[in-house]
Amino acid sequence: MDKERKNIVIIEPSPIVFEGISASIAKRENGYSFFWLENIDEISILQQQKRISIILINPAIIQNRLQEFVKVKNQFPEIYWIGILYSFFDSHILNTLNDTFSITDSISIVIKKINKICKDSTSKLNYNEDLSKREIDVLKLLAKGFSNKEIADKLNISIHTVMSHRKNIMDKTGIRSLPGLTIFAVTKKIITLE
Amino acid sequence: MYQTKKTYITPTSKMLDLINDNHSLLLLLQHFNIDFAVSNATVKELCSKNNVSLNVFLLVGNLYNDFYPEKVESFKVEEVKSLLTFLKNSHAFYIEDKYPELNFYLQKIKDGLSTNDFKLIEKFFNDYYSEVLDHFKYEDEIVFPYFCSLINNSSIPTTAISVEEYRNHHTDIETKLTDLKNLFLKHISIKNELSAKRKFLNSLFELEFDLTIHSIIEEKILIPLVEKIESERNG
Repeated sequence: MDKERKNIVIIEPSPIVFEGISASIAKRENGYSFFWLENIDEISILQQQKRISIILINPAIIQNRLQEFVKVKNQFPEIYWIGILYSFFDSHILNTLNDTFSITDSISIVIKKINKICKDSTSKLNYNEDLSKREIDVLKLLAKGFSNKEIADKLNISIHTVMSHRKNIMDKTGIRSLPGLTIFAVTKKIITLE
Repeated sequence: MYQTKKTYITPTSKMLDLINDNHSLLLLLQHFNIDFAVSNATVKELCSKNNVSLNVFLLVGNLYNDFYPEKVESFKVEEVKSLLTFLKNSHAFYIEDKYPELNFYLQKIKDGLSTNDFKLIEKFFNDYYSEVLDHFKYEDEIVFPYFCSLINNSSIPTTAISVEEYRNHHTDIETKLTDLKNLFLKHISIKNELSAKRKFLNSLFELEFDLTIHSIIEEKILIPLVEKIESERNG
């Protein structure tokens, strides 16, 4: 599963509005997954398996259940709540949300709001996937079956540094097992098998 | 799996609608020995016709539909039998269905790779699968009998299961599966065998999906149940 993707939940009774918002955003921006819920009860179940970043919500859903909503909101302080407005709502309802947009706003305004919230973490997406020279040295020895300690001795670095290189190699390649890394090294012609 | 709408399965849901929303539920039916010709039946009707515990079906079915149970109630002995049927059938599926299928597509990819590269991948795959088989053997021969004797209230068997060992098994199996996927999706390019490679990956994704649910059931449902019964016995 791609851990860098941000999960956006849309709580809104109309499937057309859900499809409209999610498709318009997905057409212009990568990195967001959308989920549709019809009420706030299901959030706690969903939050257990997907980290929800943002919830877009139709305030009509919470206007008669405000106390309940505030409880859910306090339970998940990491979620950012944005109201989808297509009619007038009393300010005491809207004040419980972090932000709002109007259904007549252009989609770029909505995207701007969402990107701003997720900016810090999405900038991490563009890390360099190429292994550094030192990481390749470590990988060569790992694939040949040397232990962390042996690699540290051979390359004249600390075990701690070996482990940190090892972690970077795993993060960059997405391969975590030793046999998997060996296949990577062979197919990329980093090592050859005798 | 393309799925934007998450359907929460209830006793009155029509099975046919559920399958149309998420066709991986076919696998759920198979694991419960339920035929796919579901006609107009609701979940409740289908379960009673096939002697499957409704509670267990709802719990597992909702895992397939991506709903994680908030808390797991304890099951009655009869219900646990449905759960064990499900797990045993899953094992048979991984061994008799998945392994030959993956192996079949892997052999088709052969020509697109150098002999050396292919040998390595084939070895990785076979090693992975023999690990999976060992794990199932351990469950079939030790975990499930232990569990059966617990719920049947018969004498306590001599071999106790180690929950910690059990969990490590799962992590290992998941890591290697992800590695296999990432090798093909990120690193190994294969000439001309796009179709076979896609089928191999599709099959791998299906296996991953099913294994994830399998692990959740064992770790979050089966093990806590065992621990609960054990502590009731001892206390």
